[in-house]
Amino acid sequence: MILALETSCDDTCAAVLDEAGGGLRSNVISSQGVHDRFGGVVPEIASRHHLDIVNLVVAQALEQAGATLDDVELVAATRGPGLVGALLVGLCTAKALAAARELPFAAVDHLQGHVAANFICAEGTPGSSGDSFEPPFVCLIASGGHTLLALVREHDGFEVLGGTLDDAAGEAFDKGARMLGLGYPGGAALERLAAGGDPHAHSFPGAAGRGGLGVGRQAFARSLDFSFAGLKTALLYRIRELGEEQARAQAADLAASYQAAIVDRLLERAERALEHSGLDRLAVGGGVAANGELRRRLAELGATVHVPERALCTDNAAMIASAARYAEHLAYPGYLALDAYATGERPHPGRPRSAERAVGRDATQAAERPA
Amino acid sequence: MNVLGFDTATPSTAVALRLDDGVTLRGRDDPGPGERPGHTTRLLPLAHGLLAEAGVRFADVDLIAVGVGPGTFTGLRVGVASARGLAQSLGVELVGVSTPRVLAEAALRPPAAPRPPRGRMPVLAAIDARRGEAFLAAYAAAAERPDARLRDGADAIRAHELAAPQAVPPADFAGFVSAAGAGGGWLAVGDGATRFRAELQAVGVTVAPEDSPLHRVDAGILCDLAAAQARGAAPGDRPPAVLPDYCRRPDAELALEGAAAR
Ligand SMILES: [Zn+2]
Repeated sequence: MILALETSCDDTCAAVLDEAGGGLRSNVISSQGVHDRFGGVVPEIASRHHLDIVNLVVAQALEQAGATLDDVELVAATRGPGLVGALLVGLCTAKALAAARELPFAAVDHLQGHVAANFICAEGTPGSSGDSFEPPFVCLIASGGHTLLALVREHDGFEVLGGTLDDAAGEAFDKGARMLGLGYPGGAALERLAAGGDPHAHSFPGAAGRGGLGVGRQAFARSLDFSFAGLKTALLYRIRELGEEQARAQAADLAASYQAAIVDRLLERAERALEHSGLDRLAVGGGVAANGELRRRLAELGATVHVPERALCTDNAAMIASAARYAEHLAYPGYLALDAYATGERPHPGRPRSAERAVGRDATQAAERPA
Repeated sequence: MNVLGFDTATPSTAVALRLDDGVTLRGRDDPGPGERPGHTTRLLPLAHGLLAEAGVRFADVDLIAVGVGPGTFTGLRVGVASARGLAQSLGVELVGVSTPRVLAEAALRPPAAPRPPRGRMPVLAAIDARRGEAFLAAYAAAAERPDARLRDGADAIRAHELAAPQAVPPADFAGFVSAAGAGGGWLAVGDGATRFRAELQAVGVTVAPEDSPLHRVDAGILCDLAAAQARGAAPGDRPPAVLPDYCRRPDAELALEGAAAR
């Protein structure tokens, strides 16, 4: 069995997955509601909460899987990208869990995890067909932290087709919700409000409508990248134009139109990516995959669409375990020096430290010896 | 009993393995000025190196000891998360030890800094708290305190806490030492003592020489303290719950409360 941890943002997650068949045994997600009053995730608070409960979450994942640490053959954890302080709690815990038993270890990229959520057999889980979705396919990942279009040809990697130039899709939902007075995080509230509104009441700039003109704009229009900042600004101006009272009266229409514009952008790029790759298979992941309007519009797409159950779409450790099945398995003690990497940072090898910097006569030399 | 102990409260990574036979192996990493701490990349490799040197494995460790600070938040979490992971995986007891207590214990043990003629100096353990402050804690020799109990000879706990760790700006150093109430004659140790040497000396505190080993956390002493504190009971199914002593609340919480109060 594979035991995986994921603590890249504000969810403390552990999961157990069968190494052979990829069957899901448990998927524990402990979400930190504490950030809502700050209007965003506070890294220091997230890191403290992760450490408070990480071992308990691991124990729960094992218990729900009907397993003990004796059954674990591989330990995995998210290495990045994400909040480094938060990542380190899961990574250090996982490395220690593995090292104590001299187990092999897999360090997983968070986005590869979202891709690998599609490979999971979640049979018997409510809301899921249970089947895995196998490459090749185009994968759209949209959440509060990332927006990515990936071409997935193999189990152990992906090609980036497009990313976001500014906000993530989920962020666009949350920021729009805040402008409409729905609090934080307001993505789900915005969707509820939009249900009673007319998506055609207000027109917002289309998929290519990134502010500015000229060559840059044309290049962007042809690309597979996303941009949500202009849309957010358009909503802000529309609310100002209407005035407080009218904006409140038309809140449902504004929410519906704004939501439709975000979904338009996601779908327009996804369709173009399918065309570009010559594939007719699309997988969707990330928290935004739970959005009803997006799901409805996906169903109208002339492609085979796979959306994993919600608990596998939002951040979770099952997807990390799934990615670990196909990742490099580092034998003990080859992984002890692994470090986390932040959003926007490329993976870097551990920096060697010179022995002469060590202090004291019995310092470090033992560890400097090759194992 | 084999004890594996480490501390990551300061930029240094200090690791020790105290073996059954009384031998203690030590390893450490001390980043130079301006270098980033190597806690994440150095801690487990150092531990692995000591185990290999002793010819034992993690599975032979009976007790995990970890310095809980106060110190840098991320450093503390690397140490405590690693310690908790090891303890959970091995099913052994985990003991958290105050980092300034480790500093004070070393300073109160012979042979240590030169003794003043009139006896043992009380110790001010100081850890650089950044933002122009030091985490200060005050200790005196336990033997001079009738209420302090000594245990098992050579590993006796000598440092008796007079004042628990707190973040103190230099302007309040004088107030802190007078409130700790040892009557003067303080010896300051720790990276906060070298960082605030002038400010401490200005309030009559002696700072150990710049190159004194007393300024660095000795994980061997951390192992001794943990062995003395250990209850000897297996943790059972309860996941380890030792936490860092942050000594400071997150800025965001304070800012939110500040905004609410205005
Ligand atoms: Zn994610």
